[in-house]
Amino acid sequence: MSGDKLSTRRSRGLTFKLKLALFVRSLSLQASWNHERMQNLGLLTVMLPWARTQRRNLNQDRVFCRRYYEFFNTNPYLANFVIGGLVRLEEDRAAARDNGATLSPGTTTMFRDSLGRAFASLGDQLFWLGIRPAMAMAICLLGLHGQMLAVLGLVGIFAVGQLILRWRSLDRGYRLGFDLVDVLQHRHWHRGIAIAERSGMVLTGMTAGTYLAMVTRPGVPVHDGLLWFGILAGLGLPMILRRRLPGEMLILVALGLALLLGFAVFVSGG
Amino acid sequence: MDFVAAWGTLSAAPLAIMAWVPAADPTWTSILLLGMLAGLLCLDDTALAQTWFSQPLPVGVLTGAFCGDPLAGLAIGLPVQLILAGNLPVGQSFTGDHVTSLVAIVGAVVLSGRDLGLALGARTLGEIPFVGWMVLAVGLFSSAGHFMIQLERRAHSVWMLEGHRTLRDGRLGRIEQIHARCLFTTFLRGFVTTVIMLLLIRRLWIPAFDHLPNLVLGALGMLPLLLPGLGIGNLIDRYGVRSSWPWLVSGTAISYLVTRFVL
Repeated sequence: MSGDKLSTRRSRGLTFKLKLALFVRSLSLQASWNHERMQNLGLLTVMLPWARTQRRNLNQDRVFCRRYYEFFNTNPYLANFVIGGLVRLEEDRAAARDNGATLSPGTTTMFRDSLGRAFASLGDQLFWLGIRPAMAMAICLLGLHGQMLAVLGLVGIFAVGQLILRWRSLDRGYRLGFDLVDVLQHRHWHRGIAIAERSGMVLTGMTAGTYLAMVTRPGVPVHDGLLWFGILAGLGLPMILRRRLPGEMLILVALGLALLLGFAVFVSGG
Repeated sequence: MDFVAAWGTLSAAPLAIMAWVPAADPTWTSILLLGMLAGLLCLDDTALAQTWFSQPLPVGVLTGAFCGDPLAGLAIGLPVQLILAGNLPVGQSFTGDHVTSLVAIVGAVVLSGRDLGLALGARTLGEIPFVGWMVLAVGLFSSAGHFMIQLERRAHSVWMLEGHRTLRDGRLGRIEQIHARCLFTTFLRGFVTTVIMLLLIRRLWIPAFDHLPNLVLGALGMLPLLLPGLGIGNLIDRYGVRSSWPWLVSGTAISYLVTRFVL
Protein backbone atom coordinates (compact mmCIF):
# COMPACT_ATOMS: atom_id res chain seq x y z
CA MET A 1 0.00 0.00 0.00
CA SER A 2 1.45 3.38 -0.97
CA GLY A 3 1.96 6.10 1.61
CA ASP A 4 -0.88 8.26 0.20
CA LYS A 5 -3.39 5.41 0.21
CA LEU A 6 -2.39 4.52 3.73
CA SER A 7 -2.85 8.06 5.06
CA THR A 8 -6.25 8.35 3.29
CA ARG A 9 -7.37 5.10 4.91
CA ARG A 10 -6.09 6.27 8.32
CA SER A 11 -8.15 9.44 8.11
CA ARG A 12 -11.27 7.32 7.37
CA GLY A 13 -10.54 4.88 10.15
CA LEU A 14 -11.10 1.11 10.02
CA THR A 15 -13.57 -0.27 7.48
CA PHE A 16 -16.91 -1.18 9.06
CA LYS A 17 -16.56 -4.86 8.22
CA LEU A 18 -13.10 -5.19 9.74
CA LYS A 19 -14.03 -3.07 12.73
CA LEU A 20 -17.09 -5.23 13.41
CA ALA A 21 -15.05 -8.43 13.15
CA LEU A 22 -12.36 -7.06 15.49
CA PHE A 23 -14.99 -5.77 17.94
CA VAL A 24 -16.97 -9.02 18.14
CA ARG A 25 -13.83 -11.06 18.67
CA SER A 26 -12.43 -8.60 21.20
CA LEU A 27 -15.42 -9.36 23.45
CA SER A 28 -13.97 -12.83 23.98
CA LEU A 29 -10.38 -11.67 24.56
CA GLN A 30 -10.26 -13.45 27.94
CA ALA A 31 -12.01 -16.66 26.84
CA SER A 32 -8.78 -18.65 26.45
CA TRP A 33 -7.02 -17.05 29.45
CA ASN A 34 -4.23 -19.30 30.69
CA HIS A 35 -1.70 -19.09 33.50
CA GLU A 36 1.37 -19.14 31.22
CA ARG A 37 0.65 -16.40 28.68
CA MET A 38 -2.72 -15.09 29.82
CA GLN A 39 -4.56 -13.41 26.89
CA ASN A 40 -2.10 -14.34 24.08
CA LEU A 41 -4.46 -16.76 22.33
CA GLY A 42 -7.34 -14.29 22.66
CA LEU A 43 -5.26 -11.46 21.17
CA LEU A 44 -4.17 -13.59 18.22
CA THR A 45 -7.80 -14.63 17.58
CA VAL A 46 -8.82 -10.95 17.58
CA MET A 47 -6.06 -10.03 15.13
CA LEU A 48 -6.80 -12.82 12.62
CA PRO A 49 -9.53 -10.96 10.64
CA TRP A 50 -6.92 -8.32 9.81
CA ALA A 51 -4.40 -11.01 8.74
CA ARG A 52 -7.06 -12.45 6.41
CA THR A 53 -7.45 -9.11 4.61
CA GLN A 54 -3.81 -9.36 3.48
CA ARG A 55 -2.28 -11.37 0.65
CA ARG A 56 -1.75 -14.83 2.16
CA ASN A 57 1.77 -16.12 2.47
CA LEU A 58 2.58 -19.16 4.60
CA ASN A 59 5.82 -17.77 5.96
CA GLN A 60 4.25 -14.41 6.79
CA ASP A 61 1.32 -16.13 8.50
CA ARG A 62 3.71 -18.10 10.70
CA VAL A 63 5.71 -14.99 11.60
CA PHE A 64 2.46 -13.10 12.27
CA CYS A 65 1.31 -15.82 14.69
CA ARG A 66 4.69 -15.83 16.42
CA ARG A 67 4.45 -12.09 17.04
CA TYR A 68 1.19 -12.54 18.95
CA TYR A 69 1.81 -15.85 20.66
CA GLU A 70 3.86 -14.27 23.45
CA PHE A 71 2.64 -13.20 26.87
CA PHE A 72 -0.07 -10.56 26.78
CA ASN A 73 -2.34 -9.22 29.49
CA THR A 74 -4.41 -6.07 29.73
CA ASN A 75 -7.76 -4.84 31.02
CA PRO A 76 -10.57 -6.24 28.80
CA TYR A 77 -12.55 -2.97 28.81
CA LEU A 78 -9.59 -0.91 27.56
CA ALA A 79 -7.97 -3.62 25.42
CA ASN A 80 -9.37 -2.21 22.18
CA PHE A 81 -7.13 0.86 22.40
CA VAL A 82 -4.15 -1.53 22.18
CA ILE A 83 -5.79 -3.72 19.52
CA GLY A 84 -6.57 -0.69 17.31
CA GLY A 85 -2.96 0.46 17.69
CA LEU A 86 -1.65 -3.00 16.83
CA VAL A 87 -3.75 -3.11 13.62
CA ARG A 88 -2.21 0.21 12.61
CA LEU A 89 1.26 -1.11 13.37
CA GLU A 90 0.60 -4.20 11.24
CA GLU A 91 -0.52 -1.96 8.38
CA ASP A 92 2.70 0.02 8.72
CA ARG A 93 4.63 -3.23 8.62
CA ALA A 94 2.80 -4.42 5.50
CA ALA A 95 3.32 -1.06 3.76
CA ALA A 96 7.02 -1.08 4.64
CA ARG A 97 7.32 -4.62 3.26
CA ASP A 98 5.63 -3.56 0.00
CA ASN A 99 8.15 -0.74 -0.32
CA GLY A 100 11.07 -3.10 0.28
CA ALA A 101 11.75 -1.88 3.81
CA THR A 102 11.32 -3.73 7.11
CA LEU A 103 9.94 -2.81 10.49
CA SER A 104 11.76 -4.33 13.45
CA PRO A 105 9.82 -7.27 15.02
CA GLY A 106 10.64 -5.77 18.41
CA THR A 107 8.43 -2.74 17.63
CA THR A 108 5.23 -4.77 17.97
CA THR A 109 6.45 -6.46 21.15
CA MET A 110 7.44 -3.14 22.70
CA PHE A 111 4.14 -1.47 21.72
CA ARG A 112 2.00 -4.40 22.88
CA ASP A 113 3.82 -4.93 26.19
CA SER A 114 4.24 -1.33 27.27
CA LEU A 115 0.76 -0.14 26.32
CA GLY A 116 -0.87 -3.41 27.43
CA ARG A 117 0.63 -3.03 30.89
CA ALA A 118 -0.23 0.66 31.15
CA PHE A 119 -3.88 0.07 30.16
CA ALA A 120 -4.02 -2.95 32.48
CA SER A 121 -2.99 -0.82 35.43
CA LEU A 122 -5.35 1.99 34.48
CA GLY A 123 -8.25 -0.40 33.84
CA ASP A 124 -7.72 -2.24 37.12
CA GLN A 125 -7.82 1.05 39.03
CA LEU A 126 -10.82 2.36 37.14
CA PHE A 127 -12.99 -0.72 36.59
CA TRP A 128 -12.05 -3.41 39.13
CA LEU A 129 -11.21 -1.17 42.11
CA GLY A 130 -13.33 1.87 41.22
CA ILE A 131 -16.51 1.26 39.24
CA ARG A 132 -17.14 -2.38 40.18
CA PRO A 133 -17.35 -1.94 43.98
CA ALA A 134 -19.38 1.26 43.46
CA MET A 135 -21.75 -0.58 41.13
CA ALA A 136 -21.98 -3.50 43.57
CA MET A 137 -22.98 -1.15 46.37
CA ALA A 138 -25.42 0.75 44.12
CA ILE A 139 -27.26 -2.44 43.17
CA CYS A 140 -27.25 -3.58 46.82
CA LEU A 141 -28.82 -0.27 47.78
CA LEU A 142 -31.50 -0.73 45.11
CA GLY A 143 -31.93 -4.34 46.21
CA LEU A 144 -32.45 -3.29 49.83
CA HIS A 145 -35.31 -1.11 48.63
CA GLY A 146 -36.68 -4.04 46.61
CA GLN A 147 -36.09 -2.36 43.23
CA MET A 148 -35.34 -5.44 41.14
CA LEU A 149 -35.94 -3.85 37.74
CA ALA A 150 -33.69 -0.94 38.68
CA VAL A 151 -30.94 -3.43 39.61
CA LEU A 152 -31.10 -5.01 36.16
CA GLY A 153 -31.48 -1.58 34.52
CA LEU A 154 -28.32 -0.22 36.17
CA VAL A 155 -26.29 -3.27 35.14
CA GLY A 156 -27.76 -2.90 31.64
CA ILE A 157 -26.60 0.73 31.46
CA PHE A 158 -23.08 -0.34 32.42
CA ALA A 159 -23.16 -3.15 29.85
CA VAL A 160 -24.17 -0.81 27.02
CA GLY A 161 -21.69 1.85 28.17
CA GLN A 162 -18.73 -0.53 28.17
CA LEU A 163 -19.71 -1.88 24.75
CA ILE A 164 -19.74 1.69 23.36
CA LEU A 165 -16.35 2.34 24.97
CA ARG A 166 -14.91 -0.82 23.39
CA TRP A 167 -16.36 0.06 19.96
CA ARG A 168 -15.05 3.64 19.99
CA SER A 169 -11.65 2.81 21.47
CA LEU A 170 -10.91 0.47 18.57
CA ASP A 171 -10.98 3.38 16.10
CA ARG A 172 -9.23 5.69 18.56
CA GLY A 173 -6.35 3.24 18.99
CA TYR A 174 -6.12 2.78 15.21
CA ARG A 175 -6.02 6.51 14.47
CA LEU A 176 -3.49 7.31 17.22
CA GLY A 177 -1.02 4.42 16.95
CA PHE A 178 2.08 5.34 18.98
CA ASP A 179 0.35 8.57 20.04
CA LEU A 180 -1.83 6.43 22.35
CA VAL A 181 0.71 7.39 25.00
CA ASP A 182 -0.92 10.85 24.98
CA VAL A 183 -4.28 9.25 25.81
CA LEU A 184 -2.70 7.56 28.82
CA GLN A 185 -1.36 10.85 30.08
CA HIS A 186 -4.75 12.54 29.98
CA ARG A 187 -5.95 13.83 33.34
CA HIS A 188 -9.49 12.51 32.95
CA TRP A 189 -8.40 8.95 33.79
CA HIS A 190 -7.21 9.92 37.24
CA ARG A 191 -10.21 12.15 37.78
CA GLY A 192 -12.45 9.24 36.76
CA ILE A 193 -10.69 6.86 39.16
CA ALA A 194 -11.04 9.35 42.03
CA ILE A 195 -14.74 9.93 41.27
CA ALA A 196 -15.42 6.17 41.04
CA GLU A 197 -13.66 5.50 44.35
CA ARG A 198 -15.45 8.32 46.18
CA SER A 199 -18.78 7.25 44.73
CA GLY A 200 -18.00 3.76 45.96
CA MET A 201 -17.27 5.09 49.46
CA VAL A 202 -20.48 7.12 49.60
CA LEU A 203 -22.55 4.21 48.22
CA THR A 204 -20.95 1.84 50.75
CA GLY A 205 -21.96 4.27 53.51
CA MET A 206 -25.45 4.58 52.05
CA THR A 207 -25.86 0.80 51.91
CA ALA A 208 -24.70 0.53 55.53
CA GLY A 209 -27.11 3.31 56.58
CA THR A 210 -30.07 1.76 54.77
CA TYR A 211 -29.31 -1.65 56.27
CA LEU A 212 -29.07 -0.13 59.76
CA ALA A 213 -32.33 1.77 59.31
CA MET A 214 -34.10 -1.40 58.16
CA VAL A 215 -32.95 -3.71 60.94
CA THR A 216 -33.36 -1.18 63.76
CA ARG A 217 -36.84 0.05 62.88
CA PRO A 218 -39.63 -0.80 65.32
CA GLY A 219 -41.23 -4.19 64.83
CA VAL A 220 -38.20 -6.06 63.52
CA PRO A 221 -37.72 -8.90 66.00
CA VAL A 222 -33.93 -8.79 66.32
CA HIS A 223 -32.35 -8.81 69.78
CA ASP A 224 -30.64 -5.39 70.13
CA GLY A 225 -27.48 -6.70 71.80
CA LEU A 226 -26.99 -9.42 69.21
CA LEU A 227 -27.65 -7.02 66.36
CA TRP A 228 -25.11 -4.42 67.46
CA PHE A 229 -22.53 -7.05 68.35
CA GLY A 230 -23.02 -8.64 64.94
CA ILE A 231 -22.71 -5.33 63.09
CA LEU A 232 -19.61 -4.26 65.02
CA ALA A 233 -18.00 -7.70 64.69
CA GLY A 234 -18.75 -7.70 60.98
CA LEU A 235 -17.32 -4.23 60.42
CA GLY A 236 -14.32 -4.75 62.68
CA LEU A 237 -13.24 -8.26 61.73
CA PRO A 238 -11.73 -7.51 58.28
CA MET A 239 -9.70 -4.70 59.84
CA ILE A 240 -8.58 -6.89 62.77
CA LEU A 241 -7.65 -9.79 60.47
CA ARG A 242 -5.58 -7.40 58.30
CA ARG A 243 -6.15 -9.75 55.38
CA ARG A 244 -8.64 -9.37 52.57
CA LEU A 245 -10.33 -12.72 52.60
CA PRO A 246 -12.39 -13.88 49.61
CA GLY A 247 -16.14 -13.54 50.18
CA GLU A 248 -16.57 -17.33 50.32
CA MET A 249 -14.18 -17.48 53.30
CA LEU A 250 -16.02 -14.58 54.95
CA ILE A 251 -19.25 -16.62 54.83
CA LEU A 252 -17.53 -19.39 56.79
CA VAL A 253 -16.01 -16.85 59.22
CA ALA A 254 -19.52 -15.40 59.70
CA LEU A 255 -20.92 -18.86 60.35
CA GLY A 256 -18.25 -19.51 63.00
CA LEU A 257 -19.04 -16.17 64.62
CA ALA A 258 -22.78 -16.87 64.48
CA LEU A 259 -22.29 -20.30 66.09
CA LEU A 260 -20.25 -18.69 68.88
CA LEU A 261 -22.95 -16.06 69.43
CA GLY A 262 -25.65 -18.73 69.36
CA PHE A 263 -23.73 -20.82 71.89
CA ALA A 264 -23.28 -17.78 74.14
CA VAL A 265 -27.03 -17.09 74.02
CA PHE A 266 -27.77 -20.78 74.67
CA VAL A 267 -25.42 -20.92 77.69
CA SER A 268 -26.84 -17.70 79.14
CA GLY A 269 -30.31 -19.24 78.81
CA GLY A 270 -31.57 -16.69 76.23
CA MET B 1 -14.38 -60.14 34.50
CA ASP B 2 -13.22 -56.92 36.16
CA PHE B 3 -13.90 -55.07 32.93
CA VAL B 4 -17.46 -56.45 32.81
CA ALA B 5 -18.07 -55.43 36.42
CA ALA B 6 -16.64 -51.95 35.83
CA TRP B 7 -18.74 -51.55 32.69
CA GLY B 8 -21.83 -52.63 34.63
CA THR B 9 -21.14 -50.06 37.34
CA LEU B 10 -20.48 -47.31 34.78
CA SER B 11 -23.63 -48.02 32.80
CA ALA B 12 -25.67 -48.12 36.01
CA ALA B 13 -24.47 -44.64 37.04
CA PRO B 14 -26.63 -42.61 34.59
CA LEU B 15 -29.64 -44.75 35.52
CA ALA B 16 -28.99 -44.10 39.20
CA ILE B 17 -28.79 -40.36 38.53
CA MET B 18 -32.02 -40.48 36.51
CA ALA B 19 -33.74 -42.34 39.31
CA TRP B 20 -32.61 -39.59 41.67
CA VAL B 21 -34.55 -36.98 39.71
CA PRO B 22 -38.28 -37.33 40.05
CA ALA B 23 -40.51 -36.48 37.11
CA ALA B 24 -41.95 -33.27 38.51
CA ASP B 25 -39.59 -31.65 41.02
CA PRO B 26 -37.48 -30.34 39.37
CA THR B 27 -38.30 -31.46 35.83
CA TRP B 28 -35.58 -32.30 33.33
CA THR B 29 -36.68 -29.31 31.25
CA SER B 30 -36.17 -26.88 34.11
CA ILE B 31 -32.83 -28.48 35.01
CA LEU B 32 -31.57 -28.19 31.45
CA LEU B 33 -32.83 -24.62 31.03
CA LEU B 34 -31.22 -23.55 34.31
CA GLY B 35 -27.99 -25.26 33.23
CA MET B 36 -28.04 -23.27 29.99
CA LEU B 37 -28.71 -20.01 31.84
CA ALA B 38 -25.75 -20.76 34.13
CA GLY B 39 -23.58 -21.59 31.10
CA LEU B 40 -24.38 -18.21 29.51
CA LEU B 41 -23.80 -16.32 32.77
CA CYS B 42 -20.48 -18.17 33.28
CA LEU B 43 -19.43 -16.97 29.83
CA ASP B 44 -20.33 -13.42 30.85
CA ASP B 45 -18.42 -13.72 34.14
CA THR B 46 -14.92 -14.16 32.73
CA ALA B 47 -14.98 -15.09 29.05
CA LEU B 48 -17.43 -13.09 26.94
CA ALA B 49 -18.31 -9.38 27.10
CA GLN B 50 -18.17 -9.20 30.95
CA THR B 51 -21.31 -7.11 31.24
CA TRP B 52 -21.62 -7.74 35.03
CA PHE B 53 -25.00 -9.43 34.67
CA SER B 54 -23.05 -12.30 36.24
CA GLN B 55 -22.65 -10.47 39.56
CA PRO B 56 -24.45 -12.24 42.42
CA LEU B 57 -27.49 -9.98 42.74
CA PRO B 58 -28.36 -9.82 39.01
CA VAL B 59 -27.76 -13.59 38.79
CA GLY B 60 -30.14 -14.16 41.70
CA VAL B 61 -32.84 -11.85 40.31
CA LEU B 62 -32.51 -13.23 36.75
CA THR B 63 -32.67 -16.85 37.93
CA GLY B 64 -35.59 -16.08 40.23
CA ALA B 65 -37.43 -14.32 37.40
CA PHE B 66 -36.61 -17.23 35.09
CA CYS B 67 -38.23 -19.64 37.56
CA GLY B 68 -41.13 -17.33 38.38
CA ASP B 69 -40.08 -15.80 41.74
CA PRO B 70 -37.57 -12.95 41.45
CA LEU B 71 -38.06 -12.09 45.14
CA ALA B 72 -36.44 -15.38 46.18
CA GLY B 73 -33.49 -14.48 43.95
CA LEU B 74 -33.27 -11.09 45.62
CA ALA B 75 -33.43 -12.58 49.15
CA ILE B 76 -30.50 -14.94 48.45
CA GLY B 77 -28.58 -12.77 45.97
CA LEU B 78 -28.46 -9.65 48.15
CA PRO B 79 -26.43 -11.00 51.13
CA VAL B 80 -24.19 -12.86 48.66
CA GLN B 81 -23.62 -9.67 46.63
CA LEU B 82 -22.70 -7.77 49.80
CA ILE B 83 -20.22 -10.39 50.98
CA LEU B 84 -18.65 -10.94 47.53
CA ALA B 85 -18.38 -7.23 46.66
CA GLY B 86 -14.62 -7.37 47.27
CA ASN B 87 -14.00 -10.40 45.00
CA LEU B 88 -12.39 -9.48 41.70
CA PRO B 89 -12.55 -11.88 38.72
CA VAL B 90 -9.10 -10.94 37.44
CA GLY B 91 -6.15 -13.08 36.50
CA GLN B 92 -4.76 -15.38 39.14
CA SER B 93 -6.77 -14.10 42.10
CA PHE B 94 -9.30 -16.32 43.87
CA THR B 95 -12.54 -15.93 42.02
CA GLY B 96 -14.82 -18.66 43.33
CA ASP B 97 -17.74 -19.67 41.18
CA HIS B 98 -20.74 -17.86 42.57
CA VAL B 99 -22.60 -18.00 39.24
CA THR B 100 -23.25 -21.74 39.07
CA SER B 101 -23.92 -22.06 42.80
CA LEU B 102 -26.38 -19.13 42.80
CA VAL B 103 -28.27 -20.34 39.73
CA ALA B 104 -28.50 -23.83 41.22
CA ILE B 105 -29.55 -22.63 44.67
CA VAL B 106 -32.09 -20.01 43.60
CA GLY B 107 -33.46 -22.45 41.01
CA ALA B 108 -33.73 -25.27 43.55
CA VAL B 109 -35.40 -23.03 46.15
CA VAL B 110 -38.01 -21.65 43.74
CA LEU B 111 -38.71 -25.02 42.15
CA SER B 112 -39.13 -26.60 45.58
CA GLY B 113 -42.02 -24.19 46.14
CA ARG B 114 -40.55 -22.32 49.12
CA ASP B 115 -41.84 -18.79 49.49
CA LEU B 116 -39.03 -16.58 50.75
CA GLY B 117 -39.84 -13.26 52.30
CA LEU B 118 -37.21 -10.63 51.76
CA ALA B 119 -34.77 -11.50 54.54
CA LEU B 120 -33.34 -8.06 55.10
CA GLY B 121 -35.90 -5.60 56.30
CA ALA B 122 -38.59 -8.24 56.80
CA ARG B 123 -40.81 -8.01 59.84
CA THR B 124 -40.61 -11.72 60.50
CA LEU B 125 -37.56 -13.89 61.06
CA GLY B 126 -39.30 -17.06 59.93
CA GLU B 127 -37.34 -17.62 56.72
CA ILE B 128 -34.04 -16.02 57.74
CA PRO B 129 -32.36 -19.27 58.97
CA PHE B 130 -33.31 -20.86 55.64
CA VAL B 131 -31.74 -17.92 53.75
CA GLY B 132 -28.64 -18.37 55.95
CA TRP B 133 -28.57 -22.09 55.07
CA MET B 134 -28.71 -21.22 51.38
CA VAL B 135 -26.03 -18.51 51.65
CA LEU B 136 -23.80 -21.04 53.37
CA ALA B 137 -24.40 -23.37 50.42
CA VAL B 138 -23.37 -20.58 48.03
CA GLY B 139 -20.09 -20.19 49.96
CA LEU B 140 -19.31 -23.90 49.96
CA PHE B 141 -20.36 -24.64 46.39
CA SER B 142 -18.69 -21.50 45.08
CA SER B 143 -15.41 -22.58 46.70
CA ALA B 144 -15.81 -26.02 45.12
CA GLY B 145 -16.53 -24.38 41.75
CA HIS B 146 -13.25 -22.45 42.04
CA PHE B 147 -11.37 -25.73 41.53
CA MET B 148 -13.41 -26.36 38.38
CA ILE B 149 -12.32 -22.93 37.10
CA GLN B 150 -8.68 -23.75 37.83
CA LEU B 151 -9.10 -27.08 36.04
CA GLU B 152 -10.55 -25.29 33.03
CA ARG B 153 -7.64 -22.84 32.98
CA ARG B 154 -5.16 -25.72 33.05
CA ALA B 155 -6.96 -27.14 30.01
CA HIS B 156 -6.56 -23.72 28.34
CA SER B 157 -2.81 -23.92 28.99
CA VAL B 158 -2.59 -27.36 27.36
CA TRP B 159 -4.60 -26.18 24.35
CA MET B 160 -2.51 -23.03 24.09
CA LEU B 161 0.59 -25.25 23.77
CA GLU B 162 -1.26 -27.21 21.08
CA GLY B 163 -1.52 -23.93 19.18
CA HIS B 164 2.28 -23.92 18.80
CA ARG B 165 1.76 -26.21 15.81
CA THR B 166 0.33 -23.23 13.94
CA LEU B 167 3.62 -21.41 14.46
CA ARG B 168 5.14 -24.17 12.30
CA ASP B 169 2.45 -24.92 9.70
CA GLY B 170 0.75 -21.48 9.59
CA ARG B 171 -2.80 -22.92 9.83
CA LEU B 172 -4.72 -19.97 11.25
CA GLY B 173 -8.00 -21.88 11.59
CA ARG B 174 -6.51 -24.00 14.39
CA ILE B 175 -6.12 -20.93 16.61
CA GLU B 176 -9.79 -20.04 16.11
CA GLN B 177 -10.82 -23.63 16.84
CA ILE B 178 -8.86 -23.67 20.10
CA HIS B 179 -10.36 -20.33 21.14
CA ALA B 180 -13.89 -21.55 20.32
CA ARG B 181 -13.18 -24.75 22.28
CA CYS B 182 -12.22 -22.64 25.32
CA LEU B 183 -15.49 -20.69 25.03
CA PHE B 184 -17.49 -23.88 24.76
CA THR B 185 -15.66 -25.40 27.75
CA THR B 186 -16.65 -22.42 29.90
CA PHE B 187 -20.28 -22.85 28.87
CA LEU B 188 -20.09 -26.59 29.50
CA ARG B 189 -18.48 -26.10 32.92
CA GLY B 190 -21.32 -23.78 33.91
CA PHE B 191 -23.94 -26.16 32.57
CA VAL B 192 -22.59 -29.38 34.12
CA THR B 193 -21.67 -27.84 37.49
CA THR B 194 -25.10 -26.25 37.81
CA VAL B 195 -26.97 -29.44 36.95
CA ILE B 196 -24.97 -31.43 39.53
CA MET B 197 -25.35 -28.72 42.19
CA LEU B 198 -29.06 -28.35 41.50
CA LEU B 199 -29.63 -32.05 42.10
CA LEU B 200 -27.48 -32.07 45.25
CA ILE B 201 -29.21 -29.03 46.69
CA ARG B 202 -32.71 -30.17 45.85
CA ARG B 203 -32.21 -33.76 47.04
CA LEU B 204 -29.84 -33.29 50.01
CA TRP B 205 -29.21 -29.72 51.09
CA ILE B 206 -32.80 -28.42 51.29
CA PRO B 207 -34.23 -31.54 53.02
CA ALA B 208 -31.31 -31.44 55.52
CA PHE B 209 -32.55 -28.05 56.77
CA ASP B 210 -35.50 -29.67 58.54
CA HIS B 211 -33.14 -31.84 60.61
CA LEU B 212 -30.77 -29.13 61.85
CA PRO B 213 -30.39 -28.68 65.64
CA ASN B 214 -31.73 -25.51 67.23
CA LEU B 215 -28.26 -24.12 67.95
CA VAL B 216 -27.35 -24.29 64.25
CA LEU B 217 -30.73 -22.82 63.26
CA GLY B 218 -30.09 -19.91 65.63
CA ALA B 219 -26.64 -19.36 64.13
CA LEU B 220 -28.06 -19.52 60.59
CA GLY B 221 -30.64 -16.94 61.57
CA MET B 222 -27.83 -14.57 62.51
CA LEU B 223 -25.81 -15.25 59.35
CA PRO B 224 -27.70 -12.92 56.96
CA LEU B 225 -27.49 -10.21 59.64
CA LEU B 226 -23.71 -10.61 60.04
CA LEU B 227 -22.88 -10.82 56.34
CA PRO B 228 -23.68 -7.22 55.36
CA GLY B 229 -21.43 -5.98 58.16
CA LEU B 230 -18.60 -8.27 57.05
CA GLY B 231 -19.01 -7.37 53.38
CA ILE B 232 -19.14 -3.63 54.07
CA GLY B 233 -16.24 -3.95 56.55
CA ASN B 234 -14.20 -5.72 53.87
CA LEU B 235 -14.83 -2.89 51.40
CA ILE B 236 -14.03 -0.19 53.98
CA ASP B 237 -10.74 -2.00 54.66
CA ARG B 238 -10.03 -1.95 50.91
CA TYR B 239 -10.72 1.79 50.65
CA GLY B 240 -8.76 2.57 53.83
CA VAL B 241 -10.53 3.95 56.91
CA ARG B 242 -8.47 7.13 57.13
CA SER B 243 -9.14 8.28 53.59
CA SER B 244 -12.72 7.10 53.31
CA TRP B 245 -14.37 7.89 56.64
CA PRO B 246 -15.85 11.33 55.75
CA TRP B 247 -17.53 9.87 52.64
CA LEU B 248 -18.68 6.75 54.47
CA VAL B 249 -20.09 8.63 57.44
CA SER B 250 -21.93 11.16 55.27
CA GLY B 251 -23.37 8.39 53.11
CA THR B 252 -24.46 6.41 56.16
CA ALA B 253 -26.07 9.41 57.86
CA ILE B 254 -27.99 10.54 54.77
CA SER B 255 -29.36 7.14 53.87
CA TYR B 256 -30.19 6.23 57.49
CA LEU B 257 -32.22 9.40 57.93
CA VAL B 258 -33.91 9.12 54.53
CA THR B 259 -34.81 5.43 55.02
CA ARG B 260 -35.96 5.89 58.60
CA PHE B 261 -37.91 9.11 58.31
CA VAL B 262 -38.74 9.79 54.65
CA LEU B 263 -39.34 6.47 52.87
